[in-house]
Amino acid sequence: MLVQQLVNGLVVGSVYALFAVGYTLVFGVLDILNLAHAAIFMVAAFTTYALVSVGVPLWLAFIGGCALAGVVGIALDRVAFAPLRKRNAGTLIPLISSIGVSIIIGAIARGIWGIDEKHFPVALGDAPPIHLGGITVTAVELVTFGAAIALMLGLSYVLRATALGRNIRAVAEDRIAAVLLGVDLEKTIVMTFFIASALGGAAGILTGLQYNSVTVDMGAGIELKGLAVIILGGMGSITGAVVGGFILGAVETLSVAYISSNWRDAIAFGVMFLILVVRPRGLFGKRALRAA
Amino acid sequence: MISFFTSHSKLFDQLAINALLALSLSVCLQAGQLALAQAAFMGIAAYISAILATQAGLPLVPCIVLGALGSTLAAMLLALPVRGLRGVFLAIATIGFGEILRIVANNLHITGGGEGLSQIPADANTFAIYGALIVVGLGLFGLSKTKFALAIALTREDETAARGVGVDTAGVRFWTLALGGTIAGIAGVLYAHSNFFITPADFGFGRMEQILVACVIGGSTSAVGAVVGSIVLTLLPETIRFLADYREVTNGAILLAVVLFAPQGIAGLWQRERRK
Amino acid sequence: MRTYLSLAVLAAFALTAPAFAAGKSPAAGKTLKVGVIADVTGGAGVYGTPQKNAYELAGEDIKSGLIDTGGVLLTFDVQDAASDGNQVATLMQKFITDGSAVVLGPTLSGEAKKADPIAVKANFPVVGTSTTADGITSLGPCVYRVALSEAQVIPTTVKKTQASWKYKTAAIIYGDDNAFTKTNGDIFKEQLEKAGVQIVDTETFHQKDVDFQAQLTKIKEKKPDVIVIGALAPEGVKIIAQARKLGYTGHLMGGNGLNSPTIYNDAGPGAAGTAVGAGWYIGANYTGNKAFVARYKKRFGGDPDQFAAQAYAGAEVIAAVAKRGATTPAEICSGLKTLPLAQTVLGPIGFDVNRDVKSAPVILQIIKGGFAYFK
Repeated sequence: MLVQQLVNGLVVGSVYALFAVGYTLVFGVLDILNLAHAAIFMVAAFTTYALVSVGVPLWLAFIGGCALAGVVGIALDRVAFAPLRKRNAGTLIPLISSIGVSIIIGAIARGIWGIDEKHFPVALGDAPPIHLGGITVTAVELVTFGAAIALMLGLSYVLRATALGRNIRAVAEDRIAAVLLGVDLEKTIVMTFFIASALGGAAGILTGLQYNSVTVDMGAGIELKGLAVIILGGMGSITGAVVGGFILGAVETLSVAYISSNWRDAIAFGVMFLILVVRPRGLFGKRALRAA
Repeated sequence: MISFFTSHSKLFDQLAINALLALSLSVCLQAGQLALAQAAFMGIAAYISAILATQAGLPLVPCIVLGALGSTLAAMLLALPVRGLRGVFLAIATIGFGEILRIVANNLHITGGGEGLSQIPADANTFAIYGALIVVGLGLFGLSKTKFALAIALTREDETAARGVGVDTAGVRFWTLALGGTIAGIAGVLYAHSNFFITPADFGFGRMEQILVACVIGGSTSAVGAVVGSIVLTLLPETIRFLADYREVTNGAILLAVVLFAPQGIAGLWQRERRK
Repeated sequence: MRTYLSLAVLAAFALTAPAFAAGKSPAAGKTLKVGVIADVTGGAGVYGTPQKNAYELAGEDIKSGLIDTGGVLLTFDVQDAASDGNQVATLMQKFITDGSAVVLGPTLSGEAKKADPIAVKANFPVVGTSTTADGITSLGPCVYRVALSEAQVIPTTVKKTQASWKYKTAAIIYGDDNAFTKTNGDIFKEQLEKAGVQIVDTETFHQKDVDFQAQLTKIKEKKPDVIVIGALAPEGVKIIAQARKLGYTGHLMGGNGLNSPTIYNDAGPGAAGTAVGAGWYIGANYTGNKAFVARYKKRFGGDPDQFAAQAYAGAEVIAAVAKRGATTPAEICSGLKTLPLAQTVLGPIGFDVNRDVKSAPVILQIIKGGFAYFK
């Protein structure tokens, strides 16, 4: 059973990781906790669902969903964060701003698609599960895991080997110095939001496919778990988000398997709390404590 | 007039309780602490008093005292491990604390688990609730005239500088969190005793978000702002009820508009007008 | 002479016949405003929206005469409580003081526990159509319920499935943060133990969870003969799909929450055979049921679920009470008490001394594309 549970944990963890990467990217670059990330997660899933229902092939619909998520992310920045940046509004106000946008996105989605659960017409989930030596895994799960890894590797490449990536890292390190060195701040921020939101959207689409369920409130559960992941991994660290996501997935699954399903979420948040008390920068974070 | 009041007494009660909750957060925000555990403190006091009232038949006032005592102790206990955290880190730690408590309440037998506690005596009438609000309000007003209030403001503006001029910032943070716990606790007991029934879900992140939003749109650095924000937020769903399907999106739009155009909150807008 | 007598009798009948045929209520011509509290938006929106739909349909059916109110002008004021306990309470108070005669709702058991006491204090009648947890009708002498409670359905579910499947071991997975699913899980546990079944594992989950594989893997290890699912449809459909996907081949059963088209549409082929203890069967031949299903489908584009059916039945019950002359809160309260069986889409229903509905639970089984009676 242990192996199967670890497999379960990796599947859950890959989505956590993908979601958290977008979260932590925005935080690392802008010091903003974007609580509308979960709404973007949801909108991407709906977009892909809508495209698939009119006959668009899945791979194309996936890209479409991610692209739309990226665009929504840019719009989010322009409407809710950019005006506040000019005003030097601190950390609290952008947070509230993101809550406002998240409510609006949710309401629009509900208006367009209604309140019931949507299911993908594609028979991806109907493929018989694969049994490998005692463990069961489905094609969808393998695709989810693979896609998550691929996207995260892709991001890693962009950050390390492209000019854009260098700019993003510069702004994250020291915004003022980056501007002085000639980095186009606003453009970099816009691209950051695009990438972060596209990744969050990808997480949403994969989750929707994985459980064959797209609902307006599908982001609610992952929003808080995403926080736990980025704390565990270290705020602003991509590697941390990835590793943290997998660890959290494993911890949750194993705690259900060997302790009790009643306490699963409490254990997840307990770990998060412990990290904050003992080692706030998490596993890979560079920032230690921040002044208010 | 009287009949309008009695037919809307529930709404007025909610107004006052939300105002108390917003005040409990405001106290922490004024010290620069983004401590988001007020919903949890509310819940602790609500459960303590509900258990005492249903099991031991305790009347309202002792329930308030004991409930608030419990929430204050919890706040003090929380203050210790998080004393080194600031900003978003503190926010997340306190949110986590709230979630853990919610799950604990969900799993214990004495709290009724997911089914909650029902048949709580409804002895918190409108007078009791507003009485408590007035008492707390007067208390905070009195506090604002003391040197401690100055220490709070200095800590918020610049913690390092404040310490430099001799302010005990650690003490400020500890006592404002504890005070937040007390006020949230009072609100929690009143909530339980005017709602007949409580479940762990009543005190989760959703409630905390509401309190936070109320404080910010009212004006996060003043008690008046907190009250104004909570009034707006409580009345909003009822006043825009005629919008039916567009209520939700209007909610979000109003929130966004206030944040973007009135960064000091609604109370801040009014103060700016006054100064002109 | 006899001809004149028979003619006179015939004439008498002819004159009074219209009155009998139309079945006019002693309150004909009066208005009866029904306040409806439903969670159309928010976390419980999936349950409140079918309810709102049902009341819309009921309103139209009253106008067209399909629901007979005996000439009483029955209207529904459907208000959205947005799954917010505070709004439920405010709405309850509003309906008590704005001239409404009765409240149908609220959607969730927890909300009822918060808001019904307000109505009780004001001697105002409330009829719940979806609040099936314990301790609701006992809140006061005017709190009624047309939905069969868990306590009423589950004993029959266990008895019938046990007789057919003869299981000796069971595992239970239920939602522990919702009054309904928790009651569901607790009562199943109690009834199974009473029936001598050994419970090999109990797992819990939270509302809105999507991944149950950790719990199901653990359950599968223990090899129970049947897995009991204490869940509402959104979680239920995933639990069934994931249990089969993980390779569990035993029986599955659940309660009211699984009585939804989602289960047979989206849980995959492995859902066939799942037993569901419910308060309503979509294919039942009760008066007007099949027609209701057809009209609902035409109007809203999908099959109605149990929430919609029970809401519609609530409307039918109020109509029946109105037909007997009740239009004020006090009259409705006593009208419900003395109501003989009313014909509804749930079948003929009445109320027992505890104000719970007197109706037979129906044990269903999932078949490809729908439900059938359990065999």
